[in-house]
Amino acid sequence: MQEEKILSDEEIEILQEIMNISFGKSAADLADVIDTHVVLSVPFIKIMQVPDLPAYFKDHVKEYKTISIVEQKFWGRFKGDALLVFSSGAGRELIKMLQHETKTGFESDPIDILERETLMEVGNILIGACVGKLAELLKDVVTYTPPMVVVERDYSDAIAENRYDPDNTAIVLKTDFCFDEGDVSGFLFLITSNDSVSWMKEALRLFIEQYE
Amino acid sequence: MIKKILIVDDSPIARKMLKSCLPKDQGYEFFEAGDGREGFEKYKDLTPDVTFMDLTMPVMTGYEAIEAIIAHDKNAVIIVVTADVQMKAIKRVMELGAYMVLKKPLKREDIQSALLKVKDTLQKV
Repeated sequence: MQEEKILSDEEIEILQEIMNISFGKSAADLADVIDTHVVLSVPFIKIMQVPDLPAYFKDHVKEYKTISIVEQKFWGRFKGDALLVFSSGAGRELIKMLQHETKTGFESDPIDILERETLMEVGNILIGACVGKLAELLKDVVTYTPPMVVVERDYSDAIAENRYDPDNTAIVLKTDFCFDEGDVSGFLFLITSNDSVSWMKEALRLFIEQYE
Repeated sequence: MIKKILIVDDSPIARKMLKSCLPKDQGYEFFEAGDGREGFEKYKDLTPDVTFMDLTMPVMTGYEAIEAIIAHDKNAVIIVVTADVQMKAIKRVMELGAYMVLKKPLKREDIQSALLKVKDTLQKV
């Protein structure tokens, strides 16, 4: 299948290692803010046709009844969409964890506002550090849209079927995580399209060349 | 003296990157393992002088592999090479008996100064 040949096996392995390093950086940044340890997993890269994305996405998050999503678009030569998906109740759990460290918002703020702001803040750290490190390792600089948050939505409604160009091919970089304290887990998906592929292939070649 | 080096990482690219940072003119013998379990088995067979160990791996994590190796050989020299640079991760591996922690992506100078430190330690033993 043509879409499977967009990146070679070696390029996928390099990208996987770069994702591993990048999410490690974002976990460390978050652990500086919340006194917890983010348990990391081996990242996974999947290349697929865009129309298959919603089903793939739903398949990964279906274990959660409801999900919260922080989304940020990023663009540079590496461009795409970052979706940070949290398990049910993660927002409230994160508020509790953050309140040990610092005040988030005002005590008079309703819980849903606090929840939204907390998810946005945590999402901003995880996405920004991960995408930023990934871009840095590939000698790129990216800018971001402000984060958008969807709080406690049924997983099957969370991703619109027609949100991406159906003629495109998607490169999905996925890592899952959980916290060693508090009932928080989730996935980070970075979705980039074939617009970034020729640049990415060259950037991956230059990255690994340092180690030849 | 360092002769045998074992590299434990599930990523073939990460193993290649690490190997490329090691000096080629020292006559080291390299051995590789793709997860913690294989790393532990190879450690028992080979008794390497230095083991480079990733943490986030399938089958058996680096944490479990360090624990198993140290239980088998309390003098094992295990250098953790990881993207997980959270303070709690570093503290935990040092408590388990790791020799030191190096952060990914690796730099040649970090690896080479780590090996010099190991040589120094081994000479004193």
